Amino acid sequence: MASLIRLSSVWQRGMRPVLLCHTQLSRGSACPRIGDVDYTEPAGRIHTASSSTGISASQHWTGERVMTLVLLGMAPAAYLCPGPVVDYSIAAALTMHGHWGIGQVLTDYVHGEVKIKLAKVGIFLLSTATFFGLCYFNYNDVGLCKAVVMLWQK
Amino acid sequence: MAAVCFSLSRCCSAVHRPAVTAVRFAQTAAAPAAQPRIKKFQIYRWDPDTVGDKPRMQTYEIDLNTCGPMVLDALIKIKNEMDSTLTFRRSCREGICGSCAMNINGGNTLACLNKIDTNTSKVTKIYPLPHMYVVKDLVPDMSNFYAQYKSIEPYLKKKDESQQGKQQYLQSVEDRQKLDGLYECILCACCSTSCPSYWWNADKYLGPAVLMQAYRWMIDSRDDFTEDRLSKLQDPFSLYRCHTIMNCTRTCPKGLNPGKAIAEIKKMMVTYKQKDAVAA
Repeated sequence: MASLIRLSSVWQRGMRPVLLCHTQLSRGSACPRIGDVDYTEPAGRIHTASSSTGISASQHWTGERVMTLVLLGMAPAAYLCPGPVVDYSIAAALTMHGHWGIGQVLTDYVHGEVKIKLAKVGIFLLSTATFFGLCYFNYNDVGLCKAVVMLWQK
Repeated sequence: MAAVCFSLSRCCSAVHRPAVTAVRFAQTAAAPAAQPRIKKFQIYRWDPDTVGDKPRMQTYEIDLNTCGPMVLDALIKIKNEMDSTLTFRRSCREGICGSCAMNINGGNTLACLNKIDTNTSKVTKIYPLPHMYVVKDLVPDMSNFYAQYKSIEPYLKKKDESQQGKQQYLQSVEDRQKLDGLYECILCACCSTSCPSYWWNADKYLGPAVLMQAYRWMIDSRDDFTEDRLSKLQDPFSLYRCHTIMNCTRTCPKGLNPGKAIAEIKKMMVTYKQKDAVAA
């Protein structure tokens, strides 16, 4: 193991040991990426999918956890004091939670620059529609808290 | 007193000798010709040197009475006695080198630590580590994995190197204990290749094995670059593709817990002083 690491470091410096020669290791499509990609700084060359807002990945992660907790806390809040304030808070929190959650799924599965851009536009439209739809419902109808209560009423 | 004991024990052993001999005989005697226990092994075969060869499963039948207990024993037996073209990595045969990592009956594990299922009605299926480029048969291409390991700089880094080589860097017992459960990793890649996130994003997500080693150097009391190590993970892929699926911990043949190590890194990412790292 250690010798392999040492060998590979020698190799990356430009010398090519016979046994690790490109032709010997790569068979067909077995390892097309050898030598093409510089792995020394993965963090530097990685494209940033969800940091367009200028916050770091860890801050984004913390935001997600906080939002999850806030959303959890809104269930008892909605039960104890239903009203327009809680209605609009739930609309906002729910949208944000879903937006970030689906964003993670897209980061996992959507590859390719064009597809990523399309997916970003799609998720933005979806989240916007969700938020304004919920607000419209809160404004013109009974509101989210009342709507959930009505699920249990005949 | 001792002399008495000694003579007594001699006496006893003399009395029991025939019985002991009988037991010994039973142990060393040739086993009675037992029913052959034929076990089928289906093994992934692919030879890149044969033009147009497609991957296929090849079945081998082995009599478990004449084979060692582990899957690696069966593989070696096949290679020695049945088909010398079968290709796989192995070295230490005792779970310390990590060479024989492969997918056995749907789970990633070391062939040398995995007992053959003695139920002969079931076929044992053996594949290379999942979602890796295959070099031949059961041999995966580990280049990307090793390059990722290299990228986390898995060695002690000091800000002040003037004292280097003059004396040992000492560590308290408590600080040393923090490394238990981390340093034992043998980099067999069973965990990383069992992780769906690593399957989809192996080029950018570091994977559980490498992240656990990153954590091992972050919490080393002698290392001065914890913040820098953390700041290198500040992107959506290197660390945050982990969704706590925990396949890594479930599959680890050494019983380690990479999932927990990654969770600890995520906690450290929230609290470390980012500005210091950037300035440094």
